[in-house]
Formats: sequence, structure tokens, C-alpha cells
Amino acid sequence: MEFFTQQLVNGITLGSLYALLAIGYSMVYGVIGLLNFAQGEVYMIGAFIGLFVLQWLGGPGGLSVPVVLALVLMFAAAALGSGVLGVLIERVAFRPLRDSSRMAPLITALGVSIFLQNSVLLLLGPDIRNYESASYIPVTSGIHAGPLRISLVRILVIVTAVALMILLTLFVKRTNLGRAMRSVSHDREAAAMMGVDIDRTIMSAFFIGSLLAGVAGVMAGLVFGRVFQLMGFVAGLKAFTGAVIGGIGSIPGAMLGGMLVGLAESFTSAYISSTFQNVIVFCVLIVFMLLRPRGLFGKPEIGKV
Amino acid sequence: MSIGVDQWVETADSRRVEPDGWWGRGSNWWGSIPPWGRLGIVLGLAVFVPLFASDFVVRVGVNALLLALLAVGLNVSVGWAGLLDLGFIAFYGFGAYAFAILSSDQLGIDLPTLVAVPLVVVATGLLGVLLGLPSRRLSGDYLAIVTLFFSQIFLELALNVDRLGVDLTGGPNGIAGVTPFHLFGMRFSSPASYFYLFLTVLTLVVIALYFLERSRTGRAWQAIHDDALAAEIMTVPINRLKLVAFASGAAIAGLAGSMFASFQLGVYPLNFQVQFLIVVYAALILGGSGSLSGAVLGGVVVAVMLDLLRDPGQASAAFYGVIAVTLIAKIRPWKRLGAIVGGAVVLGSVVNAIATSLWPGAFEGDAVSTGPLASFLDSWIVVPTDPVTPGNWAYCALVACVLALPLVHGWKRDALVVPTLYLAAFVWETRLVGEPSITRQLLLGALLVVMMLGRPQGLIGKARVERV
Amino acid sequence: MPRNLLELREVSISFGTLTVVDALDLEVEEGEIVSLIGPNGAGKTTVFNAITGVYKPDSGAISLDGQSIVGLPPHQIATMGVARTFQSIRLFQNMSVRENVMVAGYGRTTARPWQSIFRTRTARREEREEREHAEELLSFFGQRLVGYRFDQPAYNLSYANRRRLEIARAMAARPRILLLDEPAAGMNPTETQEIAALTSRLRDEKGFTVLVIEHDMHVVEGVSDRVVALDHGAKIAEGSFDHVATHPAVVEAYLGKGAAATK
Repeated sequence: MEFFTQQLVNGITLGSLYALLAIGYSMVYGVIGLLNFAQGEVYMIGAFIGLFVLQWLGGPGGLSVPVVLALVLMFAAAALGSGVLGVLIERVAFRPLRDSSRMAPLITALGVSIFLQNSVLLLLGPDIRNYESASYIPVTSGIHAGPLRISLVRILVIVTAVALMILLTLFVKRTNLGRAMRSVSHDREAAAMMGVDIDRTIMSAFFIGSLLAGVAGVMAGLVFGRVFQLMGFVAGLKAFTGAVIGGIGSIPGAMLGGMLVGLAESFTSAYISSTFQNVIVFCVLIVFMLLRPRGLFGKPEIGKV
Repeated sequence: MSIGVDQWVETADSRRVEPDGWWGRGSNWWGSIPPWGRLGIVLGLAVFVPLFASDFVVRVGVNALLLALLAVGLNVSVGWAGLLDLGFIAFYGFGAYAFAILSSDQLGIDLPTLVAVPLVVVATGLLGVLLGLPSRRLSGDYLAIVTLFFSQIFLELALNVDRLGVDLTGGPNGIAGVTPFHLFGMRFSSPASYFYLFLTVLTLVVIALYFLERSRTGRAWQAIHDDALAAEIMTVPINRLKLVAFASGAAIAGLAGSMFASFQLGVYPLNFQVQFLIVVYAALILGGSGSLSGAVLGGVVVAVMLDLLRDPGQASAAFYGVIAVTLIAKIRPWKRLGAIVGGAVVLGSVVNAIATSLWPGAFEGDAVSTGPLASFLDSWIVVPTDPVTPGNWAYCALVACVLALPLVHGWKRDALVVPTLYLAAFVWETRLVGEPSITRQLLLGALLVVMMLGRPQGLIGKARVERV
Repeated sequence: MPRNLLELREVSISFGTLTVVDALDLEVEEGEIVSLIGPNGAGKTTVFNAITGVYKPDSGAISLDGQSIVGLPPHQIATMGVARTFQSIRLFQNMSVRENVMVAGYGRTTARPWQSIFRTRTARREEREEREHAEELLSFFGQRLVGYRFDQPAYNLSYANRRRLEIARAMAARPRILLLDEPAAGMNPTETQEIAALTSRLRDEKGFTVLVIEHDMHVVEGVSDRVVALDHGAKIAEGSFDHVATHPAVVEAYLGKGAAATK
């Protein structure tokens, strides 16, 4: 039983990460109808930014500021840095190709993704770095309630993720910018004619999506420790899985889908096989896409012919 | 004037404009040669390569032919049918592993080449159909990611299937000791023999695809690429044709895989990672997606360039050469070009003078490049004794400059090119030359971006008009 | 006794809560030219989409020469004998004029990929026949789309020529019935007259049955054997042009309630 709850907690933690990443995919897909291949790299760079802030503050060994402040700074720096990076990516790879074929921006984003991965490799070297969160966030503290044991780190991650998701939902529903994004995702031309600044709206979607990815990167570092330049690739694929399962373009769908993928991965790894966990998760996605391509919350496509 | 007689049409010949410039005239002349003639010329030139070149060069040639074959195969689904297939490497790997399994001690089977290769090709084709099945209802982006999943699944299986009991693939160590091709009593072992074999295979495949392009199948694929729904309403069974596209590309990749396994005498999982997928895509995009000769050209150019990168001297020659060619091709008139280059030289000398006088001893490093340029570079570029950190900062500055270039115009842009050139050379000497494997990926990624933004039709492809 | 080539019975299509086609009955006899008119949004193009298999009707029957075609994939319906043009032109931009027309011959040819590669007799013959057929169809439009135009990419064509090419492509599918969706849209008066003459020639010279969506009433008057008027997805009048043009429901649909009262 304790094993089960442990996997459940793992799954929810992992799912929170994937959910944040998946939201980024769905937001971008919502406003421009394309997938941001480089989202995984933004996540990876966010993790590195958080690590640098940590090191700058003296950590992991000897933090010169209180842990809470350090964490806040790490998250803030990663969020900001990743957000800016996302905007850059939009400007370089997506905006110039907005009216060309579907393939061109994808290939360009693929190129950007490879470029970012290898730039990090060049500048920072191939060594795997580690957040070593155990040295500043005590492993033993947390919740112990019967079979339920959640370490403080995971509580932090889950709570932060949930808070961000709630904030985002409010943002999309209540603010002008959120409304603008929804209108652009329905009909870009009509939105433009209604006075919506398309460039700014798309830029904001990239900013927010990448911001979330950067935060997720720091979370990954805190929970799993290891930070390396290929970490964005597989995480990105799985987060995309979640976004599609939830219905690409739907933000609540992305949250749910990401969570489901995290749980699936956790339980598969524990109960079936950890070697083949990726294979199984990917196969599940393929089957899912055959049965319900539009996902859980996606809208069936009605195009005018 | 009666209806149906069009004066504009009748006087068309008088308005024909001849393209000028050496590229335009050259490609015009090349295009006026009938296809058989062109093929003959290229083959005639290629045939002489192993006779006059060293073994090393011939090996490069073999790699080039292999990459050209892969690019041609990728062209079927990506260039013609417009299906973004990111799982292409999985077919290549599958073909290589399948051939290795059938021709080595792995499972104790060792089939004759003429049996093994067709088996592999057919099996890979079927795998292509399998991959294509979920593609039927998926649009471009979904398709791309699902095919990427497939390649990941393949890679993970190849790495780990031995844990399931049957050691099919040798795990992370791959399969060594593959029996090379043997046909009609001949054993293929020397690079030259492989060169001619691969040249023959590539030629046959290109000829076959040439006919296919001009058949109802080829037209149907292009129609699907341009407007799938309209194609379907015009009698084209789009789902079936998508499967055929996948299967054809897969079969070609499988063939290339078996050839690769034979040449390398072994297969290892590392050969089939995403890094290599990027290489194939870069080859196709550079040459011209949608064009058979573009795919071949791109494959040859990229393979040669990548092999050049292994030796610092040759790599630098290629690096500076490409920059020079791009400058000459893109910047007119000559005065402007001269000003920019002159400015870069001046900047370099000034920086050199200032740096060596302010921090004597800190710039004793030698430019890594060798050859005739070396002495010039030593005086132009400051090479710090410890190149890594300044090189890294310069790299960031270089990326910033390159990103800023499209944002400014006129003389400001020309002015920005000057430090960009200097930084490019600086970064090259201090960092990039020393890290060939990273550099090749960086350049390939950058190539994809630059081609898509600047010349999406590649070097010799045709510019496309897209339905918005 | 000419029979119904195309028959729609009680066809209904809704998108969510919006009923776009409302229990529509429609017949087209072989050899007829029928015009489908109605204000924008009346559901005319949706009817075309249903017939060609792009949309599946929520209820009702569609049959071609007695055979039901509901639920069949579009390419099969096309091969059975239904071809159309599009309101917003959907040519294969990057293919040449001739190639655009030849694509539609896919359903009538059989050459497999391997046969094309090895250039078997069948493949070569079919290719030659399709090519000649395409060039013959293109010459239907006079000198406009022939000669050097055969090899020009479709994106080079003028607007009027694109519309003509679309019709040529539809003809190449060797259909029994041609669905033309606003073939004269965006044309000047001369070109419009040409299209009207062309439509009659399609039936008289080539033997096609034609169902046309058209807004220009001069064209409708000139070519139609019969006119069907739709509004909000339902048929509101049917008959000869004069009968439909003066029908109060039709006048009201186009011009509003006040106009009908003055008739």
C-alpha cells in the first residue's frame, strides 16, 4: 500500500511537471496552430538558469540567503529567462513563417531546438550537473500520514504547479489578454479585425508558455536533481503526449493530460518495467490518437470547404 | 477579337526574359541538357573518383552516396507528398539491424546477400506501412510527432530488447561482425568497390523515382501536398497514397541501412539517433526538398562538409570558404562588399593591437586553423591563451549579432556585419574548431533555420506557393 | 424517360445547434442543367459538400443513378461520377496546368507504382491517353490554356483562367454530373457571358449533367432548365426561372419582407 501511494505521489509530481509543459504546447498551438518543437529546450534552459542562480547564491552547499528566498529567486529567474527565450524563438522561427506552409515552421523549430541543445553543450560542457536539493530542502520533512509520505520538495512542486495552473485559468478567463488569446485561437483574421494586436497576443502566448516551461525545469531539477542538455527532449515528447491526450489547444485538457501521462509513467515504471516505460507510454499515445485524435477536451474540426 | 483567342498568349515569346547572373545562366544551360545527358555527365565524373583519389576520399564518397540515397528516400514523403516524417531514421536503423541480424552470428543466420537485402527492403517497407497507418487521420504536426515517437520507440527497443530474453540487437553494443555484401562470388571489401556499388544503387533508385515522379502516383502525391482535400475530391485515394509514400521512403531507407551495415561491418545504436535525422533533413533542405537532383546534391554537399569538419585545416577552409561565397553572392555592389570586408580586417587589427598591448601575455594562443590562412589569422584574430571563456562570451555575442541582423536595415546592417564577421572567425578559432561533433550539430541546426527563413526551396529546388 | 441521375431525399445537416440543410429534397435528371440559388448562407455549398462526401448528412439519402453514396469516401464518390469546382478556387498551385487536369484522371487509371517505374506498356499507354485527354479538355477553352500554358505552374494563371482550369480538372474526372460552385464569381461581364456559354456547351457538347450554384441571375436565366431556390437550408421554390424568380418566398429571401409585399 505504501508502495502504491509512493507511486501515486511520484506520478502527481511528474504529472505536474508535464502539465506545465503541456500547457505551453497547447497555448502556442491555440494561437498559431503549430507545435513549438523547441519547448523542451526552453524547459532545459530554465533548469540551468535555476541552477546558476542557486550557485550564485552559494548553493547547494552553503546558501548565503534563506532557502525560501533562494527558491523564489530561482523560480523567478528561470521564469523570466525562459519567457524571454520563448519570445526570441517566436520572433526567429515562427513569426517570419506565419503565412507559409505548415512544414516550414516545424523544421525551423527543429533546427532551433538542435541549436539550443548544442549551444548549451558548447558553453557548459557535457557534465551532468545536480541541484542537490537534499542539502537545502530536508528530505525527511514533509507529510507523514499513515501510508502517505510526501517529501517537502514534492509538496513544494505540486503546490506551485497547482497555484500556477489556477492563476493561468483565471488569467485566460478574466483578463483581456486571455480573451484575446482565445479569440485568436478561434479565428485570427476576425480577431485582428476586432482590434486584437495579433503580434502581441502570440508573443504573450509564447512568453507564458515558455515561462511555465522554465518553472517546470527548475522543479525537475529540485525533484530529480540531474540537469543536462538532453533533458528537454524526452520530457518535451511526453508533455506533448499529455497535451494531445487532453486535446491540443485546450488548456484544461493539457493540465489533465499532463497529469495522466505523469501517473501513467510512474505506475508503468513501478509495476511493469522501468526499462521500457518510455516505449509503453509512447505506444499508449499512438493508440489513443488512433481512437480519439481530438483528445479529451478537443473540439472536432469543422472547416469551411 | 473573338472569344478564346488570347493576344497576350500569342505574344508570349516576345516577353520571355532570360535569367542573368552566373547562377541563372549556369542553371539554364544545365537545364537545357536532356535528363539522360545530365545523368551521364554526373556518372561520368563520379566514376573517376576512386581511380584518382585516396582511400580516405573514396570513403568520404561512399558516405556521400549513402547520405544522398537517404535524402532521396526522405524526399518521397517530405518533398513530394508533404508528410513530415521524423521517424525516417527508424527505417534506416531497422534496415541496418535487420541486415545485421540476417548476416552475422547474432542469431546464427547468415543469408546470402541477394536474399537478405530484398527481405530487408520489403520488411522495412511494411514497417513504413505500419507507421503510416496512424498517419491517415493526422495532420502535419501530429504526424511529425507521432513519427518521432516511433523512432524513439525503435531506438529504445534496439537498446533494450535483449532484456526481454532474446538478444536480438546486442543492446548498447550493437552487432559486430556483419558479413559484408557478396554478390556473384565477389566480396565487397575495398572502399572503391563499395563506391561503385553504392553509385550503381543510387543511380538505379534515382532513375526509378524519376519515372515515379512523372506517373499518376507522383502526381497524386504532389496533389496531396498542395491540397489534400481537393485531391481526394478529384478521385485521389489520399490515405492509400500516404501509405505508399511512407512505404517507399521506408524501403529506400531500409536499403540504405543494409548498405551501411555492410560497409561499416557492424551496427550500433548510436548511429541512429536524432542527431543523424537532422543530418538527413539538412541534406534534403539544403539541396531542395521536392527535387530529386536537389536531394542528391544536398546529400553529397552535407556529407562532404561533415567529413571536412574532422580535420581542422580543411574545416577552416570550408568555414571561411562558405562565408566568403555567401558574402560574394549576397552583397552587391563590390564597393559595399569591399567596405565590409575592409572594415572587418581593420576591426581585427585594431582589436589585436589594443588587446596585446593592454594584456600582454594573455593572447599567446595560436589559431587552431592550419594552412595558408594561419599566419593571416594569427595577426588578425586575437587568440587568448585560454580560449574557452572568452570564446564562450564571444559566442553569445555572435548569436546576438546574428539575431539582430534581420532587425536593422540599410547602412546599420552593413555596419553590424563587420563585428559579426570578426566574432564568427573568433568563435571559430577559439571554440568551434576544437569541438567538431558539437560544431557539426550547431551548424546543421543553424542551416535548417537559415534555409527555411532565407531560401526554403534549397539550392536547386523550385520555390513553392502555399495555400494559406 | 430521363431518370434522376442525382437524388437527395430529406437530407439534413446541422453543425451544433445550427441547421444548415433542412430536410432537403433535390433531383437532377440526366442531361439537365439545374441552378441552385439562394442568399448567402442558404446552405448551397454545404449541399455540394454533402454530395461529394466531405460532410456526412445527419439524416437523409443521397443517391447517384440509384446507388447510395452517403458515407462513401470522397475519392470513391468522385470515381463513381461526381466532380466539382470550388467556390474559393482550390487548384494544385505548384503543379502545371496540364498536371492539374491529369490528376483527376487517377480514378480511371490503374498503373501501379512498379508499373510506372518499369514503364510497362499499360503504364505508358495510360500516361499518353491521360495527357492527350487533358490537352483536349484544356482546348475546350479556346487558346487560353494551351500551348506553352500547359507547362506553366497554376499559380501563374490569372483569376479567370484559374476558374477555367478548375472546370477542366473537374471534367477530367470523367464525371456523369458536374457540380459547379459559383463558376462566374469575380468575373467581369464578358467573362461571365463566356462562362454561361461554356456551361451550356458542357451539356450540349460533352454530355455532362450540370448542377450549378450561381448568384448572377443573368447566367441562371440563360443556362438553366430548372431552378431550385434555397433559404436557411430548405427548398423554398422550384421550377422554371420565371416561376422561381417571381416566387414571393424567393423575393422575400433575397430582398426582405417589404419587397415581396409590393409584388
